[in-house]
Formats: sequence, C-alpha cells, structure tokens
Amino acid sequence: MSQNLTMSPDLGKEDWDPDVITRMIFIGPGAHVSEQEIVSEFHMLGLPLTIKNTCYGSMISGKSEHVYKAIEEIRKLDPNHIFTKERGFAPGDPRRCRGHRFGPREGFHQMEKEYRILGFVSEALENPKDVTVEEKKPVKVDDFKKIMDECLENRE
Amino acid sequence: MVKIALYPPNSLILADLLERRGHTPLVLQKQIRQKIKDPEIDSPPMNITEEDPIKGLKYAAIEVPSGVRGRMSIIGPLIDEAEAAIVVDNAPYGFGCIGCARTNELSIFLLRNKDIPVLELTYPTNQDETYVMVNKINEFVDSLEQTAGEE
Repeated sequence: MSQNLTMSPDLGKEDWDPDVITRMIFIGPGAHVSEQEIVSEFHMLGLPLTIKNTCYGSMISGKSEHVYKAIEEIRKLDPNHIFTKERGFAPGDPRRCRGHRFGPREGFHQMEKEYRILGFVSEALENPKDVTVEEKKPVKVDDFKKIMDECLENRE
Repeated sequence: MVKIALYPPNSLILADLLERRGHTPLVLQKQIRQKIKDPEIDSPPMNITEEDPIKGLKYAAIEVPSGVRGRMSIIGPLIDEAEAAIVVDNAPYGFGCIGCARTNELSIFLLRNKDIPVLELTYPTNQDETYVMVNKINEFVDSLEQTAGEE
C-alpha cells in the first residue's frame, strides 16, 4: 500500500488555489433526472467549471462563487432528490482517484452507507409529516426466560 | 446564518439539510482541503505534519495517543468555531478518515461540554425514523433562527 501514501502528484495552478473548491452532486433514489442530464445542465450554464460524470451523479470543481451558483441552478431540476457535499480533493486527483490507486476511495464507504437512506430523506423532504416512532425497549427478563425455556425444550 | 458542527463531520445528509436552510455546516472536507492546498506539506494524503499532534494538545492531554491528537488538530478547529451542533449516534462513521473511536468520543464530549445548543439523534434505519430525524433537524434549525432573531 506504500503507493497510496508516497504519491507526490504534479499539481497545476488551480490545485493550489484556495478559492477553488470541489463539490459532489448526488442523485438520490427515485430522482426525476439522470446523471447525464445533470452534467448537460452544468455545461449549459456556461460557467468555468471542471465537470465530471460519476456513478452517483457528478462532481464539479471551480471558483467557489461559480460552484455555488451552479449548485443553486442544478437543485432547481429536482430539489428533493439532488444532494450535494464538499470534497477536499479535486476530481481525478491521483491521491484519491480510484484509477491511480488500490481499493475504494476514502469516504466511499460513508457515501455508500448514507446512500441507503437517501431515498427516505427525499421522501421526508417531499412529503413532510409528523411521525411518532415507538421507542425500542429491551425484552423483559421473564419473557426472555420463557423464550429460553421454550427453545431448550424444543431442542430436546 | 449559524455555523453548525456535525457528527459525523463528513456526513452528506446532515450537511445538505443544513445548507438547504442557508446555514453553514462545519464539515471535515473543508479542513482537509486547507491541508492539501498548503504548499508546505510535501506528501499528502498523509497530511499530518509534526506540528499537528502539538496543535492537538489543545484538545487532548499528552498521554492521549498521537493519532487522536493528530485527528483533533483537524476536527478541533471545527468544534471551536461551532455555534450549534448536531450529533448522530450510531452513525456509520467507523470508516475512512475518522474511523477512530477515541477521537469520536472526544469530539462528541467536547461538543456536549461546549455551551452551545446540541441536537442528539440516532441514525435512522427505516423510513419512519428518517422522518423523525429530518423533522427534528428542521425544528432545531427553526429554534436557532428564532434565537438569532431575538438577539
């Protein structure tokens, strides 16, 4: 794994600019837009951005004012199903990009887990309603004992 | 606009819900970006310099492992900056860059001890629980806006 740690990429001018930021755009389950539509829309905005099409949506990089403007516009396509998140590294940075290193990218697992409830979050944003959830309580000792006895009897 | 610390600090859902309401989520990625854009650091993604465990001393004692202090040098400034906090218990953050149980405990402890409004939630596993989480976050943000308005 030493390759992952010792890579010293040849970075461009934009990579050192503190005002250049990267955002990931996620399309939640049940969205009315596709990844390709999102990317086309970004191109149509005509802003000076680096746009990358990804499996979960897209990634954009550029000056912060342009990035935030683009996100504001893109959210209008499907406000409840488009989610965005900051990213530290630029798109295709060899220190994080899967194409240049082994195994999944750091942060992928968090993304994968959160994606599982993203559909529920979209639903909650789309149709807000009050819900009460019954608090989970531990099984009573007597009940537990009864179940244990039943299981032991059945085994014999 | 309120600066809100999150736990897990790299959460997509929490950060997005807060940004929708016009607030600033204090996310880890911004700190990491500062690190990787620093020309003085030669070999990211190791990112940790010998200065970092020293900075981490502000948040953790010298007996604490250097890994925790190194992580706290990145997460600590976010906690300092926070005006409110949302902590999600049982979140799947045992992965990646913050897969350190002691750092997680220390960060949550510091957030709880700081004199700021803290919302504590449980990571949802089904639709109803997600509704509850989203509603509670919205109510919390409303209360923050109300307090800010009164001031």
